[in-house]
Amino acid sequence: MTGPMDRRTFLKRATQVGVGALVVGTGAGIAAELLVERARRPWDASFFPPPGRPRVAVVRAASYDADLERIVLDGLEAVGADIAGRTVVLKPNFVEYEPGAAINTDPRLIAATVLAMRRLGAAEVTVAEGPGHRRDTQFVVQSSGLLESLHDVDTRFVDLNSAALVARPLHSSFTDLHELWLPQPILDADIVVSMPKMKTHHWAGVTLSLKNCFGCVPGRVYGWPKNVLHWAGLTEAIVDVSAAVRPHLQIVDGIVGMQGNGPIQGTPMKAGLLVFGADPVATDVTAARLMGFDPTRVPSIAETARFLGQGDPERIEQVGEDVERSAVDFATLPQFQGMKVGGKPGAGVDAGPA
Amino acid sequence: MVQNRANASDNARMSAGLFRRAAARLSAARSDGGFGPRPGLAAEPEPTALAAIALGDDDARRWLAEHQRPDGGFALVAGDVVSDAATALGALALPPGQAREGALDHVVTHQAQRLPANPASPHDPSLRGWGWTPDTFGWVEPTAHAVLALQVMRPSAAGPLADGLAVLADRECEGGGWNYGNRVILGVDLPPYAQTTAVALIALQGAQPELFARGLSALDRLWRAERQGGLSLAMALAAFRLAGEPAAEEVERALDAELERTALLDDAVTLAWAAIGAGPGLDAIQRPA
Repeated sequence: MTGPMDRRTFLKRATQVGVGALVVGTGAGIAAELLVERARRPWDASFFPPPGRPRVAVVRAASYDADLERIVLDGLEAVGADIAGRTVVLKPNFVEYEPGAAINTDPRLIAATVLAMRRLGAAEVTVAEGPGHRRDTQFVVQSSGLLESLHDVDTRFVDLNSAALVARPLHSSFTDLHELWLPQPILDADIVVSMPKMKTHHWAGVTLSLKNCFGCVPGRVYGWPKNVLHWAGLTEAIVDVSAAVRPHLQIVDGIVGMQGNGPIQGTPMKAGLLVFGADPVATDVTAARLMGFDPTRVPSIAETARFLGQGDPERIEQVGEDVERSAVDFATLPQFQGMKVGGKPGAGVDAGPA
Repeated sequence: MVQNRANASDNARMSAGLFRRAAARLSAARSDGGFGPRPGLAAEPEPTALAAIALGDDDARRWLAEHQRPDGGFALVAGDVVSDAATALGALALPPGQAREGALDHVVTHQAQRLPANPASPHDPSLRGWGWTPDTFGWVEPTAHAVLALQVMRPSAAGPLADGLAVLADRECEGGGWNYGNRVILGVDLPPYAQTTAVALIALQGAQPELFARGLSALDRLWRAERQGGLSLAMALAAFRLAGEPAAEEVERALDAELERTALLDDAVTLAWAAIGAGPGLDAIQRPA
């Protein structure tokens, strides 16, 4: 139980206590391990049909005081969201709350999305989250103003950390988890909408609609802060969890995002953008590009692009704002400079399998 | 039954009221003899153990005894993931006997992994503490539960107990109080939180007096900033009550208001901690003099 760890195990587990920076510069050996691993195809292809040419919409929204209901409605229609008669669960990011910090999906955007979904004919809309950092869900959702906003639009909140659970086998095996216990409300929904904040992340580079799926994994089984997932390898867990949740739609809140030491201690970054999509990989590819990242260098996006969705920008139908002209340079921690567009490949990118 | 040992008679009356309200709400989570994490869900170890402590509930104790694993632990098992962090709480809930001793044996023999030192997240690599799941890193909350159980019921487990106390000292945030498991990440001091600070104080109960005093001071500041959190308030109430701190009265009023306004989101763990903080269950987790 307490024997020496091999190199790969150590690299995975290093992130559990936040030692990702340790592996920077350990370079070629780990890169070689990853190249060997990339020859594997750790997923069941019968569950993941080849991606098509998904549409992703980039829409400007100058502030949270804009007509967000109209903007969201237009964004959803632009990506062909078929909502009529469906039950919808909005899964925002409420990992933590700090006054004045841009940690969470803004409650005004969530409330506007509830209203937009209803206008599109949704049979039912609920908002669900299992905070990944705070165990006290009530503190996060009350202090942030989420519950009040949901009350205003007469919508129910579900705490995914204490919801009923169902075991689901994984159809990808980047981790050794084999199965996940996922909340019934997520599995029962016709439409799950991943609504992340556009943020940098101090272990993963960025956190967008794929990483946001961590909030579907219950803390009472997997610990706080979703400890088992970090222990299983952060990149691998992002891939397996997002492949299990497979959010049908994505709305990325980049009106005010977070840069630097995200996902909690970074600084606000006004990008004035919302990203809409129906393919989580394509959406994250687009959002990462808008943040000034090269998505092929973000391990979780690069790996999911192999099987879960469309990772090739040339095969993503971009509508709305032009991605390159709209891109905003989100500052990163030094170890992630190599993930940025124009960053020197390998410079600090090597977070190994973490 | 519902009398709290608070000093002032007004406070005792208020405690009785809060206890009754929290206990009534908690009862809605009863399921198959135990307690689910919220009403309508199957019983699980953590809410059942806390409810057993809070309510002195024999059915809940029986559920625990019937669901104890052969290794003495109480766990949610999800495939290969065994979440056994509720074992220490189970031990606190059980009456004296073989089942309780088995749970304590499990606590003593299932400590966390040691991880190498690293300046990005400084911690003492010689220490272990307890994790949420076997063979993972030690975190403040599961470590605090284990320290509490050992302090109350098996102080003879000197090695693991000293390790747990040292982990709590090692992970103390700058200025006092606790975050989830680390005090610094990538050179940035992490802030303490009310809930994690409260659980550490509940475990310490005066052990390591300077550490404890800094934690109490931090909690007195933190709960005011985090007063919209039901679990934070409930655990702060228990921590202050155990310490005999007058702040308990103010926390209790805030908690009662939240219970009235939000039903604490019907979260059984939160309701159970509220009932423990306001009721006789506090005696079950009090460190012997």
